[in-house]
Amino acid sequence: MKGQLAQAFAALDEERVYRIIDECLPIPGDPLMIVHELSRGMEQVGELFKKDEYALGELIYSGEIFKGAMDKVKPFLKEGDGKPERKVIMGTVEGDIHDLGKNIVITLLECSGFQVIDLGVDVPASKFVNAVKETGAGLVGMSLMLTTAMDSMRQAIRFLEDAAVRDRIKIMIGGAPTSERLREDVGADFHGRDAIEALAIARRVFHPAKGGRI
Amino acid sequence: MNPSERIAAVISLECPDRVPLAPLLDHWAAPYAGITNAELMNDPEKRFNAVLKTAQDFRWDMTFLADTANLTLLKIGVPALMRLPGVDLPENATHQFDEIGAMTDEDFDVLEKDGVFALFSSLIPRIYPEMTIEQALMDIDRAGNEITEQGSRLREKGIEPAVGFIIPGPAFDYFCFARSVNKALLDLRKRPAKMKSAGKRYCEDMLGLAVPSAMQCSIKRVFIGLSRSSPVFLSSKYFEEFILPDLDFLIHGLIDAGITPVLHCDTNWTKFLPYFRRFPRARCILELDSFTDIFRAKEILGDHTAIMGDVPSTLLAEGSRDDVRDYCRRLIDEVGAGGGFILSSGCSIPLNARQENVLAMTEAVEEWGWYS
Repeated sequence: MKGQLAQAFAALDEERVYRIIDECLPIPGDPLMIVHELSRGMEQVGELFKKDEYALGELIYSGEIFKGAMDKVKPFLKEGDGKPERKVIMGTVEGDIHDLGKNIVITLLECSGFQVIDLGVDVPASKFVNAVKETGAGLVGMSLMLTTAMDSMRQAIRFLEDAAVRDRIKIMIGGAPTSERLREDVGADFHGRDAIEALAIARRVFHPAKGGRI
Repeated sequence: MNPSERIAAVISLECPDRVPLAPLLDHWAAPYAGITNAELMNDPEKRFNAVLKTAQDFRWDMTFLADTANLTLLKIGVPALMRLPGVDLPENATHQFDEIGAMTDEDFDVLEKDGVFALFSSLIPRIYPEMTIEQALMDIDRAGNEITEQGSRLREKGIEPAVGFIIPGPAFDYFCFARSVNKALLDLRKRPAKMKSAGKRYCEDMLGLAVPSAMQCSIKRVFIGLSRSSPVFLSSKYFEEFILPDLDFLIHGLIDAGITPVLHCDTNWTKFLPYFRRFPRARCILELDSFTDIFRAKEILGDHTAIMGDVPSTLLAEGSRDDVRDYCRRLIDEVGAGGGFILSSGCSIPLNARQENVLAMTEAVEEWGWYS
């Protein structure tokens, strides 16, 4: 199975992915290996995206296949197996209900072993603060599509500073009108130009030694 | 040259007397003209007066009739739930779409067998329970008459109306709104034959609506929205299989009727720019929203298709007047070289654009846009 599953996943061959998993699951000790192979496949999908061979359509489809695969694997995992410790809060800032980009980032993060707390869209500043306090997440992702929502992003970060939780988290921003200039302006730590960059940022935040490539 | 001649020269890739100016106007007209966004979206006369004031004050050659903030057109053209200023949002906010996935699997059969009006009849009650298809069709008829009348009033003032009809896009773009992006992307993989057969019917019916509408209002340009079919969402394989056949059909159908397609490209289309060479030379306008590399577009398509764009919304909202002037000058010098260029905003002027930045676009064409 080793290698084949990741290869089938990277090729987005959904039927083959499920067939390999069905064949492997009765073998003891294999569930975690399957999860590992799926993650490797997802990394290859990310590489193909970076090389411009895949587009968002392929990323979204890979997320679907991953979910389908995990539905098969989950009943065979022991409690605590692969339970993600790395928590990321995600939300589209107040005044904006666009969720497409945010949801793609969430899919990639979850497929890569992060636990995501999705605050949804039109998220007021106070909700980001409460979520940080309640979950102890180390990374907050803020998204927007509308230039008119930039002030909401500024406000959300200011609220996190005022609540004295800013120094225990990193903040990444993303969305079509965002830029490095906006990142500096609003006082975020990272700007992700696409979902793959957002994933690399999350890896870097939680595993600085491994240094997620951006 | 008058604005109409100037635009015609650009489309046919001849050199006009100067670069024409035609920003994409919708919501920004409201704060500029001193009305609320809710009024702009709901009241045709206030909308027209706001558009006219904006276009006259900023000395534009061509303007959109704020079609993309016309609630009647949006309700039937975009099958997603809208959050509206004055209803769900503050009176001066921009409307936003919530893709609720109103279109079911079975609706593909409805569309394929009975056409777009049958599909609208299925979708409208799910999205707007208070609205009937009969009422929607009457509203659309009224909106068509308004566009005819407003277009002619604009021309009386020496301003060219931009488009006489809006096609939401190739079928896939429409399905993204109707089904949600994720579902439509999966549909390409799970039910490709149905996407093609239903999509073909969608395009046939949309062309059947677009041609007589543009003819009736004598604005012989038709907007085709291209957002979800971009290389951001689709790899070349899917673009060639699902999008190009629709575009071939729509673009040739419009051109055969003497209409100029305005290809409104949202997001980054740089990778797919060479595909646009397949369409007839000097018959289309390629409108870019600042995410596509417009300078690369000039290299690839400059001798083939007129280009329109692309002062970024972030620059208009957050940049300085000098930033805007500098960028416009570069556009005029490089993309405008030899003609074939219309200076515009990259997509709509954002609601929070600074007035001096919008004026900077006018200053730029008047100062540097003349061809000797």
